[in-house]
Amino acid sequence: MTAETPAPSRADSAAPTASQARSAWSRRIFDVVSRYGFVIVFFAFAVFFALRADAFLNPSNLVNILEGNAVLLIAALAMTLVVASGGIDLSIGIAIDFGGWFAIIAMRDYDLTWASALLVGVLAGAAVGVLNAGLIVRLKISPFLATLGTFFIGSSIQQIYTSGGGQVPFREMSESFRSLSTGAVLGVPTEIVIAAVVGVVYFVLLERSVHGKRIHAIGLQRSVASVSGIRVSGYLVFVFVFASATVALSGIILTAGLRQFTPLSGFSYLLDAIAAVFIGASMHPQRRPNVAGTLLGVLFLGVVSNGLNLMGLDFNLRDALEGIILVGALALAFANRNNRARAVSI
Amino acid sequence: MSEPAVQTLPPTRPRLRQLAATPALRLLLARFPLLVFALLFVYMALGSEFFLEWRNISSILRQSAPDAILAAGLAVVVTAGGDDIVSGGIDISLPAAATLGVGILSDQLVNGRPFVLAMLLAAAAVIAVGLLNAALVVKVGLTPLLATLASWVAVVGTTKWVIDNRRITVDDPLINSVRDGTVLNVPVPAVFALAVLIVLSFWIHRTRFGHRLQASGGNRSAAEISGLNPDYFLARSFVMASLAAVVASVVLTARGSGLSPGIEERLLLDMVLATFVGAAFSFRRVVTVPGAMLGALLVKALGSGFQLLNVDIFKVGMVKGVLILIVVASAALEAGQRR
Amino acid sequence: MNATGEQHDADCALRMEGVTKTFPGVRALDGASLSVGRGEVHGLVGENGAGKSTIIKILAGVYHADAGSVSVDGEPLERIDPASVHRLGVRFIHQEISLVPHFSVAESVFLGQEQTGRLGTAKRAMRERAETFLAETLGVELDGRALVRDLSVAERKLVQIARALIDGRAKLVVFDEPTAVLAAAEVKTLFTAIDTLRRAGKSMLYVSHYLNEIHQICDRVTVFRNGADVGVVDLRQPQQPQVRVPEIIRLMVGRDIGDLYPQRRRSERTRDALEVAGLDDGHRLRGVSLTVGAGEVVGLTGIIGSGRAELVDSLYGLRKIRAGKITVDGEPARTNSPARAVRSGLALVPRDRRNDGLVLDMTVADNVNLATLEEVSTLGWLNRAAAGRRGEELMERLDVRPRGSHAVSRLLSGGNQQKVVLGRWLASQASVYVLDDPTVGVDVGARSEIYRLIADLAQAGAGVLMCSNDPAELLGMCDRILVMVRGRIIADIAAADTDHEHLTALATGGAEAA
Repeated sequence: MTAETPAPSRADSAAPTASQARSAWSRRIFDVVSRYGFVIVFFAFAVFFALRADAFLNPSNLVNILEGNAVLLIAALAMTLVVASGGIDLSIGIAIDFGGWFAIIAMRDYDLTWASALLVGVLAGAAVGVLNAGLIVRLKISPFLATLGTFFIGSSIQQIYTSGGGQVPFREMSESFRSLSTGAVLGVPTEIVIAAVVGVVYFVLLERSVHGKRIHAIGLQRSVASVSGIRVSGYLVFVFVFASATVALSGIILTAGLRQFTPLSGFSYLLDAIAAVFIGASMHPQRRPNVAGTLLGVLFLGVVSNGLNLMGLDFNLRDALEGIILVGALALAFANRNNRARAVSI
Repeated sequence: MSEPAVQTLPPTRPRLRQLAATPALRLLLARFPLLVFALLFVYMALGSEFFLEWRNISSILRQSAPDAILAAGLAVVVTAGGDDIVSGGIDISLPAAATLGVGILSDQLVNGRPFVLAMLLAAAAVIAVGLLNAALVVKVGLTPLLATLASWVAVVGTTKWVIDNRRITVDDPLINSVRDGTVLNVPVPAVFALAVLIVLSFWIHRTRFGHRLQASGGNRSAAEISGLNPDYFLARSFVMASLAAVVASVVLTARGSGLSPGIEERLLLDMVLATFVGAAFSFRRVVTVPGAMLGALLVKALGSGFQLLNVDIFKVGMVKGVLILIVVASAALEAGQRR
Repeated sequence: MNATGEQHDADCALRMEGVTKTFPGVRALDGASLSVGRGEVHGLVGENGAGKSTIIKILAGVYHADAGSVSVDGEPLERIDPASVHRLGVRFIHQEISLVPHFSVAESVFLGQEQTGRLGTAKRAMRERAETFLAETLGVELDGRALVRDLSVAERKLVQIARALIDGRAKLVVFDEPTAVLAAAEVKTLFTAIDTLRRAGKSMLYVSHYLNEIHQICDRVTVFRNGADVGVVDLRQPQQPQVRVPEIIRLMVGRDIGDLYPQRRRSERTRDALEVAGLDDGHRLRGVSLTVGAGEVVGLTGIIGSGRAELVDSLYGLRKIRAGKITVDGEPARTNSPARAVRSGLALVPRDRRNDGLVLDMTVADNVNLATLEEVSTLGWLNRAAAGRRGEELMERLDVRPRGSHAVSRLLSGGNQQKVVLGRWLASQASVYVLDDPTVGVDVGARSEIYRLIADLAQAGAGVLMCSNDPAELLGMCDRILVMVRGRIIADIAAADTDHEHLTALATGGAEAA
């Protein structure tokens, strides 16, 4: 009987659509432009910067771009995982903060070794994820509101224990810990190495493992995943905890670089991370969040910021242009692909 | 034909959801956020005599006006787009738009521009943000969350550029009178908020247009079957919200005597909190304009009360976080009951 | 056949002649005709795929007919679009109730046609008019301020009807399966309303699977089969229901079944693969017990609202149960979540393929492997070559077209999508397969392949519970058939001991009328 019900479905109409009427060639060009339009824009920007600012193509500048965006890349990868599972995490800033903060406290007040401090930091981040997962899976709060609540609570905790956001310095930080940010492995800055390792882990997890397949299935069509016997709740817990633990790592790197913890500093990565994920998703044939796309998204944000900087633009004008370029890029990436799915019924 | 006997098993361990099945408990669950607010206020009134004095109340009214106005704007968007935050209607960029308005208004006034001209420029910029959002959502097809997130970034950047990321102090007689003045003992910002309340409430809850806008967000397919175009109402809601942001920018300029960079971040979270907490104050438990504004007022009052009780100001954020979780969790549990 | 002679266009509220509609690969309507007289309640019946909903969508302007003519109230329509049909006074009561949950009754009734007064919308006037209309025209006392989400399903249905009729310009009302979502007692309320409308001179077209309802309220009934009308039965003539209901059933069924179904060697039943005792959800299921033997194909039929869908959901942990016991392969199964159900040895092919069956944006290979990913992986690392190979193998075996396991599932036809869903479970070696409407929306070619697969599963020793409302396929495939009506299993019959008419009568309550 299901097949016969006149459900008000717009997609099922058998009438020929406008796209079918379009000739094959123009359609192919349209497809290429709409799928890779973003990449084209990316390269256009790169070429533009290369022409306008001599320093842009300088190898040391390119390394700068990578190093400067390693922390954002780690945060964006974690966000990729969460968005792939169909959620969003507004509290990554808190996990970033907690990671660095607890690591510093572990070393300064408890004299732990740098490796144990690293572990403490990551666990502190994971705790944020446990709170999120509990709210989302147990209390069935939507990820947006649950992580917003976590954000308020986490910010408040930081303010309470740092007297309203005072910095937590630790000048006597061990060199080994510092080298998480300032060191180099085989001549490559440690930050880039760590980001690359995280990137590989996330690539394997999301794009090459059975778990990734299941997480994507949950994010795409939760009921199908459930009917197929996938433990949806278990995976959601994993996703939120693992993502928070990952971003805590980036907080630790920040702390190591500055030899201090600045409360509430993680928030500034949130919007960029979300933007990078969605830029990346727009390049996927099915518009799924994916690791390679996120990498490209982060690089795009990094290149634009770096290039505008090298052109000697005013600091404030640069921020404005970055924002406007982001809006334009997203609009271009999503243009003509109305993928808003809304299912509302009683 | 067989008539199988019902084989009853011993009931399983009573779980929260089953426990909440009785009507009394359901009502308690539904009104739990209100109850929490009520208890907190009783506690504050007992703890500090000053809390219920008009001087304190009028200060709360003054302080909460910008948040309330922005929350009202957000309520319109949520009403038109549905209260699913990820796929439904939301406008993250409202506080950024209002801050842009503050920046332009302050900058122009300091540079000696007449008030009317400065105001027109600010309003044009803020409404342009609303139009941008509407276009990104309806024409380009971005989800409202993503679209307004992007415009947030763009608008915050633009504001920094316009005002050079500096503190601007305004000393304009009109702005000062908004800041300090009262009408019949009621602070002027609260009068502004009241005006927004009356206009938007009427528009959304009393007109044919508003009725249809509510239907678009309540059940998209029901609206479509009734011959309405939900996208039209969603687009309009972004523009209406930006009108609220214009009013908010005047009140904000007065509250801060100009512009302090970075106010939009605090406004954003308070606005979202107030709007969704506000759903607990509506009879139908949905986001409404009056509910959102009341929510903003109560959240501010809470902050003020804690301050009077000498509670560490930094703990207020914690209370807000717990509050939002209580509200949404009780709504989720209650919705689970209704099925 | 009892066609009631010539009728002039002018006497007809609706006249559709020779309507033809072809979809890619399917001829949904093949010269179908349908006419509804003024002031009559006209039934429209037919089996799934007979073309009922297609002709209604053509009338509604959702589809455009390839050929044929349509006239409403004697006025021929050139091009049908929703607005023009609405103008002519045709109103549709869709099967699905689309209302805003937090709107009041009055607001819902007037949605899109609000009245305004001096101070915005005239809330009071609208409430009073809605209440009066519901009381006088539909015979139900409802508070205009009550919220839709607090109403019963029947009350929502009446609100939906009121919304369609409140402007007073309705001439022809089309009801599509209006009682599908209603409980028995609620159906009465609806019929009272329809009676009132009839007395007010409205014409109605009533589409339903419930033959006893058709018999109860319709003046005439048109029977559709294979995209064409095969007869009109006049129910006003003084004949006994014993004569007419079987006549309608004969008209609905009369087709060649052929050897669509594979020959099955019916083995002796040795043990139970699935045993269900006293399943009760306190609402739609009232103590359901059944068994499915290993190697047995058991049919389960029941029209919408019978509890069939709820039973399937409960078995699979998609719905909470209050009481009852489920045993799979002799082991008590805790099926409070689908993941547990799968581990207990159950596999489900869901009825709503697009929403629950396939991740439409994943490739065929991904979908086939979704339930058994660990078998094509080592320590969590997905062996993509192995996964692709298994995808190809299963596609080969199931004859999924077009070939290529990297095709996105959304692009497959309904039949091929269903094969992919089945393929997912073939690899899992479950003990019990629950197939919910496995051939709905599947063309005949793919159907026979799906039947063959089902037979293979049973041959291999699995128990199969095949839920369907197609008596022909149940008779062709099953060893036993269970019939559900209003939350209970009312019959458990060997397929050999029943026939098409009997089954249809049992399931549609026609047995009560006859």
